[in-house]
Amino acid sequence: MPNTYGSRTLTEWLTLVLGVVIILVGLFFVIAGADLAMLGGSVYYVICGIPLVAGGVFMLMGRTLGAFLYLGALAYTWVWSLWEVGFSPVDLLPRDFGPTLLGILVALTIPVLRRMETRRTLRETV
Amino acid sequence: MRRSHLLATVACATLACAPLAANAQFAPAGSGGAPTSTVPGPGNGSSNSFEPTENTPAAKSRFSGPSPYAPQAPGVNAANLPDIGSMDPNDVPQMAPQQSASPASGDWAAYGHDDSQMRYSPLSEITPQNADQLKVAFVYHTGSYPRPGQTNKWAAETTPIKVGDGLYMCSAQNDIMKLDPATGKEIWRHNINEKYEAIPYTAACKGVTYFTSSQVPEGQPCHNRILEGTLDMRLIAVDAATGNLCEGFGNGGQVNLMQGLGESVPGFVSMTTPPPIVNGVVVVNHEVLDGQRRWAPSGVIRGYDAESGKFLWAWDVNRPDDHSQPTGNNHYSRGTPNSWAAMTGDNALGLVYVPTGNSASDYYSALRSDAENKVSSAVVALDVKTGSPRWVFQTAHKDVWDYDIGSQATLMDMPGQDGQPVPALIMPTKRGQTFVLDRRDGKPILPVEERPAPSPGVIPGDPRSPTQPWSTGMPALRVPDLKETDMWGMSPIDQLFCRIKFRRANYTGEFTPPSVDKPWIEYPGYNGGSDWGSVSYDPQSGILIANWNITPMYDQLVTRKKADELGLMPIDDPNYKPGGGGAEGNGAMDGTPYGIVVTPFWDQYTGMMCNRPPYGMITAIDMKHGQKVLWQHPLGTARANGPWGLPTGLPWEIGTPNNGGSVVTAGGVVFIAAATDNQIRAIDEHTGKVVWSAVLPGGGQANPMTYEANGHQYVAIMAGGHHFMMTPVSDQLVVYALPDHKG
Repeated sequence: MPNTYGSRTLTEWLTLVLGVVIILVGLFFVIAGADLAMLGGSVYYVICGIPLVAGGVFMLMGRTLGAFLYLGALAYTWVWSLWEVGFSPVDLLPRDFGPTLLGILVALTIPVLRRMETRRTLRETV
Repeated sequence: MRRSHLLATVACATLACAPLAANAQFAPAGSGGAPTSTVPGPGNGSSNSFEPTENTPAAKSRFSGPSPYAPQAPGVNAANLPDIGSMDPNDVPQMAPQQSASPASGDWAAYGHDDSQMRYSPLSEITPQNADQLKVAFVYHTGSYPRPGQTNKWAAETTPIKVGDGLYMCSAQNDIMKLDPATGKEIWRHNINEKYEAIPYTAACKGVTYFTSSQVPEGQPCHNRILEGTLDMRLIAVDAATGNLCEGFGNGGQVNLMQGLGESVPGFVSMTTPPPIVNGVVVVNHEVLDGQRRWAPSGVIRGYDAESGKFLWAWDVNRPDDHSQPTGNNHYSRGTPNSWAAMTGDNALGLVYVPTGNSASDYYSALRSDAENKVSSAVVALDVKTGSPRWVFQTAHKDVWDYDIGSQATLMDMPGQDGQPVPALIMPTKRGQTFVLDRRDGKPILPVEERPAPSPGVIPGDPRSPTQPWSTGMPALRVPDLKETDMWGMSPIDQLFCRIKFRRANYTGEFTPPSVDKPWIEYPGYNGGSDWGSVSYDPQSGILIANWNITPMYDQLVTRKKADELGLMPIDDPNYKPGGGGAEGNGAMDGTPYGIVVTPFWDQYTGMMCNRPPYGMITAIDMKHGQKVLWQHPLGTARANGPWGLPTGLPWEIGTPNNGGSVVTAGGVVFIAAATDNQIRAIDEHTGKVVWSAVLPGGGQANPMTYEANGHQYVAIMAGGHHFMMTPVSDQLVVYALPDHKG
């Protein structure tokens, strides 16, 4: 039976925690990435950081859009890293391994976020 | 997967504030000043490049060392030995034929096997086909390791020698022993009672020297001798048969090598390599602790009579015409380049090849004399009759990168123009440039180019050399200059951290000049390229085996005020705290305007290097057919390494930093440990394939050796570990053999 009014489920809590992690990573990307860009380095991090922060915020709001923003940033990350280092596993490891693991978790949150969205819609229609 | 994700998450949290911290560590410490207009070039010795005189007022700062004229501290002359007398080098008796000149086929008579130091053994029982059956034959414990309360400064680095019925070696603290080569049973042991305080940067004893006397008849004590230079600066001779001191040598078997060095404290000056004996002259060099003060004890090279221990000559860079021992309150010139690598003797030419280091205060060169600038970071061929250089070949001009040569020169023959072999010398360097020289005159056999280098740099009055030498005829043991995209990590978080660290530093490739306003990246780093492990060379196949590092450093000069704030002070400062720091190479460089802060170019929060792997490599070069690379691959797995020093257990051949060299055998097998995965390997010399590996009880940071006993081949490695390489310390010599030959 859908939990319409009461407390959040464990998976919802985990989704929120994941959102917080993504916001923190995104903030680091934006701040440190801006620093790097101003030092003449790669602009990838500051660019990628913006959808990460936004995605995390939307996840906290229980919006599916958050997950898709993360997955979009992940796709951008893969394209960028292949452009930067090619198909070199050693070099793809730091660029894509962690983000992809995180991406799998984010994909798993999509049904949870959907449920949260449905619940909110229900609540709004009540 | 979970676990990795967890790691990444922790890393995220840990690293969130990292860039700020990195900033704080290297906060601008002062101004580097405008680029100098001084004409750059090798040798800008000036009037201020002379050491203080007896009347120079003492420095007032509590961070300064005492006057060079102050007496030596108690304990520096460890055995309270009286002064040794001198004798005329012309009176040195004719040398008897030495074991190291032509060892028996199953022996290993010198540090690098024989006088050529090729690290080649003609033994062939172990082959690529049967090496995988190697088993431990015996283990010997030297008894030297850090006791409770002692800072770990251990890295034994020992290579035993084997002559006849004995395996001779030293412990990290210089006790000498003779073992039964087939069983490892101790035949005798001579304890020299060295104090912990005598340990400089590292407790190491790379080996001992075997000498046969022409004066003491066969069958009498000390006809055959073991000579050793010690951390507390003694030259010791013991009887090879009994281990008893040779009474006829020096003062009851010992010579005080601190004689004439002037003010010093225990641990400032030390010997870690086996001294070569050339035409009856035992030549000694010594390490002077890096980065302490401009007027550190001299790097003088000295010759002694191998029979009597009497002093013959000194080569003191700033007293080129005076080869005598200083008398009274005088001392050898202070702060001159020291040589800590193993030297190579050449009886035929009457030369000793001295791989030199830098003048004291490695990272600031404005106070060096012209004479010092000519011989630092060079191969110097000294005439053992006179102590004067016959030729000099410099591998880095006006070195301020600690590119002192750690490797031993290897002697071999190169095919000459007219088909006649040319006596050659291979000199590996920390730069990864390997120079091949004619040992008669020091002229390059393979082409060497002087190429433009970043110059003049930013330090006022201390211009860099406009060119540096490159050995273009040999494959370079390095990777191309670093780029931002070479930065690595577990995740984008630490990779971003390293990218910022890279961009914050000055970096214009190799020879990036030192700077004080921000850090600079030094690649190749001071661990090499090639370091003291040197190279091995198979004269039959013409294959040269070299292992090397890809370990950049992150350096910054700091103003004197900042150095004082950091508490940097020379080891002989009365306020110096023993056991504190030093491992990272920070130094006061007292007497110069700057101190130095050196760290590996790493993420200090995870302990992982900032650059991408590999960090260590092994390369085979065909010296007979155009110096082509035959094979090359990363050396060392990730099994014992990982973030936060945690072993990952992964068999991935990531290529780890390595210290220690290789052995090549007629069986077509290369033996090497060296890597920080604490393994020893057998590698097929011709294909590079690893055919056997075994985990050691400690880090294998030593040169292995191989010998024959009771008709069977043994392979020995000192698994002593290395404090700076952060590998486990042990006191075990591990010896392997094929089955059925155990014990």
